[in-house]
Amino acid sequence: MVIQDLKVLICDDSMFARKKMSMTISALGISEVFEAADGEEAVAKYKENKPDVVFMDIIMPRITGIEALKQIIEFDPDAKVVMASSVGTQGHLKEALRAGAADFLQKPISDEDTKAILENAAKGVL
Amino acid sequence: MFAQFFGGYLLNKKLVTSDDLTQAFEDKKHTRMRLGVLAINAGLMTADQVEHVNITQQSVDKRFGDLAVELGYVTEEQVDKLLSQQPTEYLLLGQTLVNNGVLTNAQFEQAINDYKSDNELTDSDLEGSKNESLSKLVTEFYHLEEAVNARMLTDYVTMMFKNIIRFIDGDFTPLEAMVVREFDAENLIEQRITGTYDAVTCITADKDVYFEFAKRFAGETFSDITGFENETVGEFLNVVNGLFAVNQSNEGGAELSMTPQKVITGSKITFEKPAYCIPVVFSFGEVDFIVSAE
Repeated sequence: MVIQDLKVLICDDSMFARKKMSMTISALGISEVFEAADGEEAVAKYKENKPDVVFMDIIMPRITGIEALKQIIEFDPDAKVVMASSVGTQGHLKEALRAGAADFLQKPISDEDTKAILENAAKGVL
Repeated sequence: MFAQFFGGYLLNKKLVTSDDLTQAFEDKKHTRMRLGVLAINAGLMTADQVEHVNITQQSVDKRFGDLAVELGYVTEEQVDKLLSQQPTEYLLLGQTLVNNGVLTNAQFEQAINDYKSDNELTDSDLEGSKNESLSKLVTEFYHLEEAVNARMLTDYVTMMFKNIIRFIDGDFTPLEAMVVREFDAENLIEQRITGTYDAVTCITADKDVYFEFAKRFAGETFSDITGFENETVGEFLNVVNGLFAVNQSNEGGAELSMTPQKVITGSKITFEKPAYCIPVVFSFGEVDFIVSAE
């Protein structure tokens, strides 16, 4: 798959964080970018759009990113969910990886980090 | 970070005004270090000796270093060593204040010596950005040694300042902290840290300043979006708190998490435990950072 064909879902309660990442992803030529502002919306948008990659914040209202990750993995065990959070503590890392996260990015997330994740996803090695 | 705290120190000692510092931080970008200030800082020359060389230079067409050697104040080797040093930010600030006529060489000499001895800082402390030296400076400046949870507060405030420099700018002056139990806020973002220990953290400022702070973090790109400033300042606080949590997890084994940020406008916020309100003056206005360890 080429990177431009990827479908990407960004889940973050910070509109600023979503817009910033969305801009980075669009600049790579990816046109199908979806956004969710909390964990519940993330699960619903995942089921609706079946994205190839999900960037998931952890600290969010309603249900957390970890809970949303669990529900997405339950729905689709092959889902590629990358935790993109400000709290990359050992505890959060372990919890996310146990729940099936594909990778973990610590905020602030650089454009290079985002690009590397998407390139790996396109190659099928995420 | 030493430059900003040196600025705060000069302000507390009433040697400079807030406006002097704002101007100096702006001018500092174009300042070139002079040998006189370097020699005073290194303790190789007194301010009087520097003045003497400066005055002599008016009648003799020679470089400062050559004259200082001729007059026997320093050796050629010492001049070479001083010239080969990379200027540090706090020295550039000092040089700018001298250039702007805010401080005389003698006032600079007194201030830099007092600053070093009051904070027990050595030259090598000031040349780097060692965590230990920065923590010492923060503890001393804010009298945090008296606080319950002194270590956590020191770590938090040090991390906060590092990230202000990283994400906003270095052109600020920290003012003395106030200990408060409540705060009237026009615009305030709050985020709680929970886990091994609990804390409340906030950022607050007047509307225009708040907006400018947000623009510094996010750039101009998103500034037209409704709620831009709350979103952006909230994300800044989230990133700082996240980096703090990771740092505490890696270094001290503390396991911390955070709650989603809360926007509070036009109302009073109260704290269960005394909160440290840390005012920071930027070129665009004052922003208050509040932290209360519970």
